[in-house]
Amino acid sequence: MKGIRAIIALDMKRFFQEPMRLIPGLMQPLLYLFVLGSGLGSSMGKMPAGNDYRGFIFPGVITMSLLFTSTFAGISIVFDRQIGFFKAVLVAPVSRSAIAFGKVVAGALQALLQGMILLFVLPLVNLHPDLENVALLIPAMILASLTFSAMGVALASRFTSTNVFPIVINTVVLPMFFMSGAMYPLQPAPGWMQKLAHLDPVAYAVDLIRGALLGREHMFFSPWLAITVLSAVVVVLTWSAVRVFSRGEEVDLTGASKFPWRR
Amino acid sequence: MNNAPAVEVTGLVKNYGKVEALRGIDLSVGTGEMFALLGPNGAGKTTLFSILCTLRTPTAGTARVLGRDVVVEREATRRDIGIVFQEPAIERTLTVRDNLRLMGQLYGLDSAGVNRRTEELLKELNLTEAADRSAQKLSGGQRRRVELARALVTDPKVLFLDEATLGLDVEARRGFWKQVRELTKTGRTIVFATHYMEEAEVADRIAMMSEGKIVALDTPRNLKSRLGGGVIRLHTADDAKAREWLVARGYQPAPEVQTIMLEQKDPAAIVPILLREMPVAVERVEIHAPSLEDVFVKITGRGLADETPKAAATRAPWGGRP
Repeated sequence: MKGIRAIIALDMKRFFQEPMRLIPGLMQPLLYLFVLGSGLGSSMGKMPAGNDYRGFIFPGVITMSLLFTSTFAGISIVFDRQIGFFKAVLVAPVSRSAIAFGKVVAGALQALLQGMILLFVLPLVNLHPDLENVALLIPAMILASLTFSAMGVALASRFTSTNVFPIVINTVVLPMFFMSGAMYPLQPAPGWMQKLAHLDPVAYAVDLIRGALLGREHMFFSPWLAITVLSAVVVVLTWSAVRVFSRGEEVDLTGASKFPWRR
Repeated sequence: MNNAPAVEVTGLVKNYGKVEALRGIDLSVGTGEMFALLGPNGAGKTTLFSILCTLRTPTAGTARVLGRDVVVEREATRRDIGIVFQEPAIERTLTVRDNLRLMGQLYGLDSAGVNRRTEELLKELNLTEAADRSAQKLSGGQRRRVELARALVTDPKVLFLDEATLGLDVEARRGFWKQVRELTKTGRTIVFATHYMEEAEVADRIAMMSEGKIVALDTPRNLKSRLGGGVIRLHTADDAKAREWLVARGYQPAPEVQTIMLEQKDPAAIVPILLREMPVAVERVEIHAPSLEDVFVKITGRGLADETPKAAATRAPWGGRP
């Protein structure tokens, strides 16, 4: 357990060391919300149940912030494994499951922190959640962050090159976000999109957060289905990362002498 | 178990696909010994270390640290060892103190223990002044000392150093080794890899590695006594021609690429003859007592600065030598 604490502490210390990292993480969601949201929203009229478009996409925008921050935190293991403290972590007598789990939690915490900051924008999009909404929203955000963070860690455990960062983001994370119904309602969407959404963990996360914030009648999935799917994804992906970490072999952990040396 | 050697390796083989990184390594390092692995880049030193510190599994053979098989008893092995990697393994943005404290937590020390050990190490390694600076603001020498401190947090019985002084200037390197020397006084075993022959000189014993094999294993003194007398190095206007002439005269120049090396009982007496009779202009002559590098050249036909053909092939033709 001490091992997990140290791994989380490491990432949180790093996170707070560079508070500027918050800015790009907040910029993107705010651009979507206020620029895209206002632009599209003005030509779109009222959304289901009388919310304006910005209010409707707000849960999607929160999810986006959680998604990118936590997957990125997870994938950063690839870089850490080559240089930095994480290399030392791997030779420490800490169980590999503690390492994987610690990384998942640390990534989720960082994402949650950003997501919470976004909640201050709520009144600007005419959303005034009551206590019950908030009580549902927080656990939904926690579950979503854990899911995305586990996605990042599971991906990271399989790559050794930092060059894959943009590839992973563009070919896995971005399509998942677009298919998720974050920016549009899934109910009136074409059948194939609805089918794909069933395969997309991000869709369940958006849906759960939307249900918590706007009310259950806005949900595409049943809340219990969403909770079950997301929890299963966390468990399965964390476990798969543990397996790769404990194998330790195929992964290029120390590498042969990579650095050019001179006399 | 107490009498087991600190490190014992038998028939160790490691292949990466078709590449044979280790081709049957046998060695035994005694408790409290300072043991060097000396060899050029690509000799297999880092691979050997990564097996010993549980990060890779061997293709064949066994490796034991303090009597424990490193594959079977990974967790216990990890508890007993410390390692300084070639690459930095401290967090640049965190302070020196935070780096050490995190390491202590990772090894399960309680908070009092973490504090005590951190302060001890800061003092021992002369880092107290730098303790609250972030690692990226330190000098190269200080940074390597932090790496050493990090590896020592748990007071490991066996310490591995993989090219630990890479990129340091001579002064900083000297300071680093002085520190390491201190560590053996408490009975700690130190195994280090290097391609600097003067670093290997401080070891009790040296294993010379080339292309995944140990080609010689002895004390520095015994290794050097394999070359009797002295060594002459010649730089000439036409080395190929000079070499040809030497061979025709019955000399045996070592097959080295850059300079001509002759091992002679009485070098001072030979040099005038060479200068007088050689058909090529001699630009420079060096005479010196045999060094470890000379021994290495003699055994492998290759300098420590030379890369293995394998490693060189993957690099630009001019990239090998600075």
